[in-house]
Amino acid sequence: MFIGTDRLTHTYMPGTPYAKKALDNVSFEIKQGGFALVIGRSGSGKSTLIQHLNGLLKPTSGRVFFDGHDLGQKGNELLKIRRKIGLVFQMPEELFFSETIFDEIAFAPRNLGLEETEVQTRVIEALEEVGMEAEQFIDRHPFQLSAGQKRMVALAAVLSLRPEVLILDEPTAGLDHSGQKILFKLLASLNKKKNMTFIICTHHLDQVAALADQVLVLQEGRLVMDGFPQKIFGRRSQLIKMGLSPPVTAEIMADLAERGLDVRSDIFNLEDARAEINRLRRHRVK
Amino acid sequence: MVNRSEIIIEAKDLAYQYTGEEEASSPALSGVNISVHRGEYIALIGPNGSGKTTLLKLFNALLVPTNGEVRVEGISTFDEENILSIRRHCGMIFQNPDNQLVATTVEEDIAFGLENLTLPSAEIQKRVGQVSSVLGLQDLLQQAPHMLSGGEKQRVAIAGVLAMQPGCILMDEPTAMLDPAGRNDVLQTVQHLNSEQGLAVVHVTHFPEEAVMADRVVVLEDGRLVAQGSPKEILGNTSLLHGLGLQSTAAVELASLLRQDGFDLPEGIITNRELVNSICSLEQTD
Amino acid sequence: MSRSITLGQYYPGKSLIHRLNPRAKILSLVMVLILLFSLHTYEALLAQLAVALLLIWNTRVPFRYFLRGLRPILYIALFAIIIYFFFTSGGVVLLRIGFITVESHGVQQGIFIILRLITLVLFSLLLTLTTTPLALTHGIGYFLKPLRYVGLPTEEIAMIMAIALRFIPTLMEESQRLMRAQVSRGADFETGSIFRRAKSLVPLIVPLFVSAFRRADDLALAMEARGYQVGAVRTRMYEDTIMPLDWTVLLVVIAMVAVAWILGL
Repeated sequence: MFIGTDRLTHTYMPGTPYAKKALDNVSFEIKQGGFALVIGRSGSGKSTLIQHLNGLLKPTSGRVFFDGHDLGQKGNELLKIRRKIGLVFQMPEELFFSETIFDEIAFAPRNLGLEETEVQTRVIEALEEVGMEAEQFIDRHPFQLSAGQKRMVALAAVLSLRPEVLILDEPTAGLDHSGQKILFKLLASLNKKKNMTFIICTHHLDQVAALADQVLVLQEGRLVMDGFPQKIFGRRSQLIKMGLSPPVTAEIMADLAERGLDVRSDIFNLEDARAEINRLRRHRVK
Repeated sequence: MVNRSEIIIEAKDLAYQYTGEEEASSPALSGVNISVHRGEYIALIGPNGSGKTTLLKLFNALLVPTNGEVRVEGISTFDEENILSIRRHCGMIFQNPDNQLVATTVEEDIAFGLENLTLPSAEIQKRVGQVSSVLGLQDLLQQAPHMLSGGEKQRVAIAGVLAMQPGCILMDEPTAMLDPAGRNDVLQTVQHLNSEQGLAVVHVTHFPEEAVMADRVVVLEDGRLVAQGSPKEILGNTSLLHGLGLQSTAAVELASLLRQDGFDLPEGIITNRELVNSICSLEQTD
Repeated sequence: MSRSITLGQYYPGKSLIHRLNPRAKILSLVMVLILLFSLHTYEALLAQLAVALLLIWNTRVPFRYFLRGLRPILYIALFAIIIYFFFTSGGVVLLRIGFITVESHGVQQGIFIILRLITLVLFSLLLTLTTTPLALTHGIGYFLKPLRYVGLPTEEIAMIMAIALRFIPTLMEESQRLMRAQVSRGADFETGSIFRRAKSLVPLIVPLFVSAFRRADDLALAMEARGYQVGAVRTRMYEDTIMPLDWTVLLVVIAMVAVAWILGL
C-alpha cells in the first residue's frame, strides 16, 4: 500500500440544508512509481479527492493512507508526511507572492525549517529539474515570465519539497501546444528517472493518456472505474455517456476496428497509432 | 434570409500598439486586413501572444486602432457617439466564465446589456424570455451565477449577448476553462445560433478540433495575419501550423505521418471520419 | 465549496411579504422600529410581538431561520437580565441571595427590554429573510437617491453594491482555495505570535489581491463590451413600481403607529 484511500467519504457542510456528499465511499490504491489519471466531470469530486491525498481536508469517514501512515493523524506527524506529497493546484502561478523566483521556490523548503544553505541547494536543484538555468532566473521577478516559464517555476516551487508523490490538477490549463509538450516531457522523465509517483486530474487526455498506467473515473463523488488505461478507455460509450471524452487516437482506432479492420483500439498517441496502422499493412502484404 | 455577401465587420490596415508596457517595442497587431461577412463562422488561431484577443477587442471598440480603421455595420469604432450601437451589433464572450457575469441572478444578468440599451421593462422581459428558451436556460433564471456549472455560465453569457440581437458574436477561447461536456454544450449552442439564426461568429481557439466547424480559418502570428482559408486548407497544412508551434487535429497529424510511410491518402482529411473512411477505402482497393 | 455559501439570508418564497416592494418593506420596518422604541406598555408590546409572529407564519419561512437570527442577541439579553434583575430596585422582593436581591420591578423591566429586542430583531429578519440582497440593495439605493443632489453618484454606488454581492461568494471560495494551496506548500497560518501570523498572511493576501484585480479588470471589460457606460442612463428589467398592495401595507402600518400614539401606549 503506497498511497490511496479506504472507504473515503467527504461531506461538505454536514448537518445543514446545504450538506453535499462530495466523495462517497471511495477506495483505491496507487503503487509507488505509478502514473495515475483521475478523470470526471467538473464537480465529480476530483479536487476534493486530491486535497484529501495531501491531508488538506479531514475525511467525514474512511481513511487516507500514504506509505503505511494514516493521514488522519494530527500535528507534526501529518506535516512530515505531507511534505512527501507535492500538490500542484490548477493555475499554480496564481499563488506567486514573492519578489524573486528564488524566494518563491524557497517558500516551501523554508517552511520545513531547513538551513538556508540547504534551501539554496534545493532551489537550484528544483529550477534545474524543470530545465531552467538557475543563475539566469533566481533574481528575476516571477510575474515577468512567460506563461510556460511561470508554470515551470510553480512546479519547481513544489519540487523543492523533494516530494515522492506529485499531484497535479489540470496541469496544462492556459498553456499552448508547445508549452504542454514540454511539461509532459518533464513529468514523464521525473516519473521514469526518479520513480516519482504521479496523480493527475485532467479533462485533456490526448497527450497524457500514453504516460498513464492507471485511470480512476469519478462520477458524482463515487469511484465508478479504476484500472489500466486500455481497459478504462476501452469503455468508450460509457465514458461519453458520462460527459467525458476518451483520447482522440483511441477514438480513431476504435472507429477503424468497428469498420472491420484488425487494429487494437487501446492506443493513446499518434506514434503508436501510426505503428499500428503500418503493422496492419505489413500484415496484409505478407 | 441571411445575405452572406454583406459585410458586418471590416478592418483595414489595422495596427495596434499597447502603450506604457516595457515590451511595447513590437506592436500587438500590424497591417491586418480582414472582413467578417454576415452569417460567417471564422476561427481565429495562433500561438500565445499573437494578437488574437487584441483583434477581438478592436472589433468591439474596447480598443481603438493606432493605425487603420474598423467599421462595424458601417460605423467606425472611432465614432464615440455610436459606441453603444457597435456593441449591440457585435457582442463578446470572454474566456473566464466567472468574471463576465455581473448580476446576482441569471435573469438579471441576461438583462444587463438590454438595460444599458435603455429598453423598456416589458421589452427586456420579453427578450430575456425569448433567449432563455432558445438557449434552454428557462429553469435557471432565478439561480445565482456561482451556483452554475462552467458550461451553464458560458451559455448565460451567450444569452446576455444574444438578447441584444447582434449580427456577430466574438468569442475569446470560450471553452478553455470547461470540461468536455461543458465544451460540447457551448460549441453546439454557438453552431446552432450560427446555422439557424445566421449569427456571424469570430471564435478564438487553441483547439484545432474547434476550428474544423468554421467557414474560414484565420491564422495570426506576431500581430500579422499570416494565412487564411477553408479549414481543409489551413488545418491540412501541417508545415504551416508546426512552423508556428501549433498542432492540427489528430486526424490531420496522423494522416500526415501515414503519408510519410507511403500511405496514399487523399488531401483534405481533417476529421476522424474522413481519415477512417480513407484508410478503409485504401484497405478495400488493395 | 461555493454551492454552500448563501448570500445574505434570503429564503425564497411567494408570500405576501415576499411580494411586497422592498421600498415599502424598508419604510414599514423603519416605522415599526420607531413605534417599538416609543412603546411602554406590556399590552402594546405583546400586540406587536403577535403581529410579528403572524407575519412570520405568513411568510412560510421555517421558524428555525428566525431562531438562528435571534442567536446573536443572546448575549445582549443575558446582559440585560443581569443589569435589570440585579441592579434595579423597587416592587416586591422575589429572591434574596446574600446581599443581592431580585425585585419585581427589575424583572418586569428586564423582560420588557428583552421582548422588545426580540420583536425588533424579528421584524428586521422579516425584511432580510424575504428580500433578495439585490432587491434590498435597490431599495436602499432608492432612499439614497436624494444624495445625488449633493454630488454622490448614487446609481454607481448601487451598481458597486450589487457587484459586491455577486462576487462575495466567488472571492470567498478563492481565498479558501488559495489558503489550502499555500498550506500544501507548508504555510502555517495558525501558530506563532501575532506578528508572525500577520507576516504569514502575505502569501495569502498578495495572490488574493492579484486575483481580485484581475477579476475586476475582466469584469470592467465585460461590462463595457455589453454597453455599460459610467454615468449613462439605464433602464431596469423589473420596474420597481409601488403596487396597491404596497400602499395598503404602508397605510396599515401608519394606522398602527397612529393608534398607538393616540392611545398613549
